[in-house]
Formats: sequence, structure tokens, C-alpha cells
Amino acid sequence: MTKIVVVDDESLLVDVLAFALEDEGYEVALAYHGKMALELILAAPPALVITDFMMPLMTGLELAQDLKARPEYQDLPIILVSGAQGALARRHPELFAKVFDKPYSLPDLLEQVLKLAGPA
Amino acid sequence: MVNRLKRLKSNVPGLDDILCGGFVEGASYILRGRPGAGKTILANQVAFSQAREGNSVMYVTLLAESHERLFEALSTLDFYDAQHVGSNMTYVSLFQTLRSEGLDAVVTMLRKEMARRNPTMLVVDGLLTARDAADDSLDVKTFVAELQANAAFSRCTILLLTSAQPGDASPEHTMVDGVIELHEDYVGARTSRRLQVTKSRGSGALAGLHQYTITQTGMAVFPRLEALLAHPSMLDAAPPDRLASGVDGLDDLIGGGIPVASVTLAMGPSGTGKTTLGLSFLKLATPEQPAVMLGFSESPQRLLRKATAIGIDLESLVASGAVTLLWRPLTESLADKLAYELLDAVAAVNACRVVVDGYSALERTILDKTRIVEFFSALGNELKGRGVTLLATWETRNLFGLSAESPTPEISGIVDNLLLLQQHPAGADLRRVVGILKIRDGVYPSSMYEIAVGHGGLHVRGKFDVSNPSVDELRAPAPRVE
Repeated sequence: MTKIVVVDDESLLVDVLAFALEDEGYEVALAYHGKMALELILAAPPALVITDFMMPLMTGLELAQDLKARPEYQDLPIILVSGAQGALARRHPELFAKVFDKPYSLPDLLEQVLKLAGPA
Repeated sequence: MVNRLKRLKSNVPGLDDILCGGFVEGASYILRGRPGAGKTILANQVAFSQAREGNSVMYVTLLAESHERLFEALSTLDFYDAQHVGSNMTYVSLFQTLRSEGLDAVVTMLRKEMARRNPTMLVVDGLLTARDAADDSLDVKTFVAELQANAAFSRCTILLLTSAQPGDASPEHTMVDGVIELHEDYVGARTSRRLQVTKSRGSGALAGLHQYTITQTGMAVFPRLEALLAHPSMLDAAPPDRLASGVDGLDDLIGGGIPVASVTLAMGPSGTGKTTLGLSFLKLATPEQPAVMLGFSESPQRLLRKATAIGIDLESLVASGAVTLLWRPLTESLADKLAYELLDAVAAVNACRVVVDGYSALERTILDKTRIVEFFSALGNELKGRGVTLLATWETRNLFGLSAESPTPEISGIVDNLLLLQQHPAGADLRRVVGILKIRDGVYPSSMYEIAVGHGGLHVRGKFDVSNPSVDELRAPAPRVE
């Protein structure tokens, strides 16, 4: 089963996305801030990370920077889904495989998920 | 020596005046109001103002509502600036932390996050949610105390937003330094929004209920005029001088003119020449000694036409800057807002003459009728302190006859000069008459005088003789219409 880590402090959004991914057959692990996500990822590396930007303790940007600084995570694709920092994130194409602005279209996101993580 | 507390300016119009300079730096405030009262707008307006000054702001929600919707709503307001969001303003949700791990975990998370960001301002939206999550009131008090303890290190000012109903027993109120409540009431069919500071530790605050509005520019509060200007900002120099009224023949009757820095009220029913009296007074304004007129019924276009019809070139007076016209249709106006707009216009040109046409319309905008006398006292005193000679009109209801009807006797008591305008039947004719009821520091005749509208405005034609209706020689020349 292909595993995806979804990170967002806004639990309702993370729940909606998690249900959609599970419906597609993916295994989903949820985190509510960057620190929690980092722990999850290091414990069991996923095929893809989908993260929010503004979160407590560690932002999406900081999470991506931390992961990309580790040689073993160079190729881990990260999708950023952001309310207001889309432009800021796009300045870091080396960190994010794709940036979505909220509100985003779920089919578009799922299409990218398939492209980056492969089939469920 | 008395210690003066440092302030964090809200930059919400009017609010810093009410808080006697702004929020106390490093203090904590509860902002309470029903959903829709404007708590979120107020908190964000202050937050963006802090961010614009380069300070760091943390905005934490304990609500299920998404930040995206919040930004969507805020982006319609002028103060919203996306470039700060995510840079020196951070919006985080601790709803999930609160739900799954409780208040202690929220405090831990906030403590770590504050250490990371070192904010000068922390907003926590959803204190009621925290209260619901708490096992007892002690938990919320501890939560607030712990937040304050963390914030104290960095002199961070805290705003706690709650939709608890005013009047609810809220134990956490004992913990904070200030409580600001937003009230929404109805006066007839209209909504009256008022802000009240119910607690302010270590600082004064303007007491009572102050009206506020929410528009595209955000929240604006209008401190009760009589509270902010309990004493006029400038002392009335009580000059002995007189100012020409612009009414032909009147100045001789009242000792050479209207006393400078005084309030004159011209009372009378519709059609007696009150607006014409105002125009006569305005016509003597110059760019060096300018005038401001606040009007409620005639639009500027109609007023210009009216002036032209009686040979007063108001258009040129406006063009030269001698006269500033403020027209505020009598719809959903707020008295204090109007008063500040008038005072601002007076200050902008350093006006000597002011016409308010009329005080009776302004009175209608005072929703709380217990304030009428205090409001007009404060306005009159402030204008006099600034050396302004004010002519205000008051529309009365009795259409005919020489009876004086003062709708609010106290108003006549707080003005310096009182004129009564009437239409009086004389045979088949209606005659306009003026009675001088009161002139400050003056000797004046106790008689009624016939007046007429002619070229240049109002003219006093002589004593009115009710027993002699054939006073054709007193008739004014027909108004010249151009």
C-alpha cells in the first residue's frame, strides 16, 4: 500500500483530504504540525508528503527544508497546499514538487498524487 | 513618581482615545461579543497594524472554522495585506490539539511557538471553546494565567476573543487586565453597535457605550462626544467681539452682531427662512475667515441653486475655499461620527463660522435620548473653544402663529443666543417674523420684527405690527432668480 503523510493544523481540512486519499486506496498518516510530521516520516518514510504552510512548531517550509537537508529524503516528493503563502512557496521549486493554493480542486490534487506517489 | 505604562496602539480609529492611549503593552484583554459583532475584524485590524509596523503577531484559533475562510473574508477589507501572512504574522489552529490533548497541551504548544516567534501580540480566538473543553472554571483561569506568564517574558500583548454573552459569569475576567465588550442592540428597526470597556487595570478608559461602525476600512469607534470632550480641547477665550450676521438690519438690533465664539439657535417651523438665515451668515465667509456648513436636507446642488435664487454666490465661495459644505443625508447617521466629521472639517480650514442646518436633524441621530443635552453642550463648548461662531437651526412643528415651541427646553438653555422664526397670518398674507429671545452679554429689543427674503438673503424690515396688516412698504423686493 502506498503511504502518504498529510500535514495541516486545521484538522477539518486534513480529515477531508485524508478521506479522499483513503477512498483512492492510499494509506494515510495524519500530522497536525511540522514536528509531528517529521517524526512520522522519519519513523516510516512515505511515498509522498502533502503539507500546509502555516503551522505551529514547524511550518511546511521548515519541514521541507529539514527533509531536503537529509540525503535519504532528497527524492521524497512534497506537495504544498497553502492559503496565503503559495507565492512564497513557489520561490522554492527545489523543495516542493507542486504548490496548490487553497481552495484547490480535489481531482487536480489527486491527479498530482498519482503522478508523484504512483498508484495506491 | 507615577509610572506611565507603555502602550501598544490599536490604530483602530477612536479606540486608542477610549483606551487612553492604546492597549497596555504586555497586558491581556478579553474581547467579548456575539458572533457577528466584529471581534475578529477588530483583532485582525490591530494585528495587521502591528505587522505593518514590523512587529511579529501570532494568531491562534481554537475554532473549527478554517483560516482560508477567514482570509477570504478579511481580504475584502482595506487593512488586509497578504504579504504579512506567513512572514511576520502567523495563523495557526490549535483546535485539534485542544480536542485531542486538552488545554495543557495547547499551553505547551503556545509556549513553544511563542519562544520561536517572539511575538509582540498574541490573539487567541475561541476562548469559549477553551471554556467548553475545560473541566471546571479553574482550568480556564489557569490557562489564561499560563498564557500571561509566557507572554510576560516578551512583553507580548494578548487579545482573547470570546463569543460568550455579555452578562455571563466569566471567571476568566478576573484574570485579565482589560475587558472590551461589543454590544449589538436595536433602536426601532436599526442596529446600534456599541463598544464598552468594562475593565481596564492600571489605566483609565472612557466609560460608557461608544458607537462603532464596520465598513470596508474595518472598525471605527466614535467615543461619546461628551466623554471625550468633557472639557473642550481649547479654552474658550470669551472674546468680546461681534461677528456680522449677514442679515441686513439684524446686527444693529443685537449690539453690532453675533457675539464671537457663541452658539446661536434659530428655531422655527418649515418655510420660515432658517436655511436662508444660514446662507446669509455663510455669505460673509472669506478664504481667510472660512466657514463650514453641515446640512441634512438640501444636497449641495440644491443648496447652490437656493443660494443663487437669493443672490448669494455660494458656488464661488465654495470654489475659493471660503465655504466647505458637508451634506449628510438623514438616514442611518451616528451623532458622534457627524460631530467628529464637523470638528475635523472645522480644524482643516480653521473655520470661524459654522452653520448646522439643523441641530434638530442632528438630534434625531442621537439614538440614546438621555444624551441630548450633554452631547450638544460638548459640541457647542468645543466649537466655542476653537473660536467658532455657530449658527444652528431647529425645526419646530407649529406652522403658524407667534407661539414659541421649544422641543427640548434644555437645549435653549445651553445656547448663547436664541432666535425665533415664524410665519404669521396678517389678513390674507403670511408674514415672516423674527423674535430675538436671547443674546449673550447683549441688550436687545423684546419685539418681533418682520423679515423678508430678498437679494443677499434675509432682511429685517421693521417691527412687526399685527394690528396693521397693510405694511406693504415693509415688503421685500421680489427674490431675483438668475
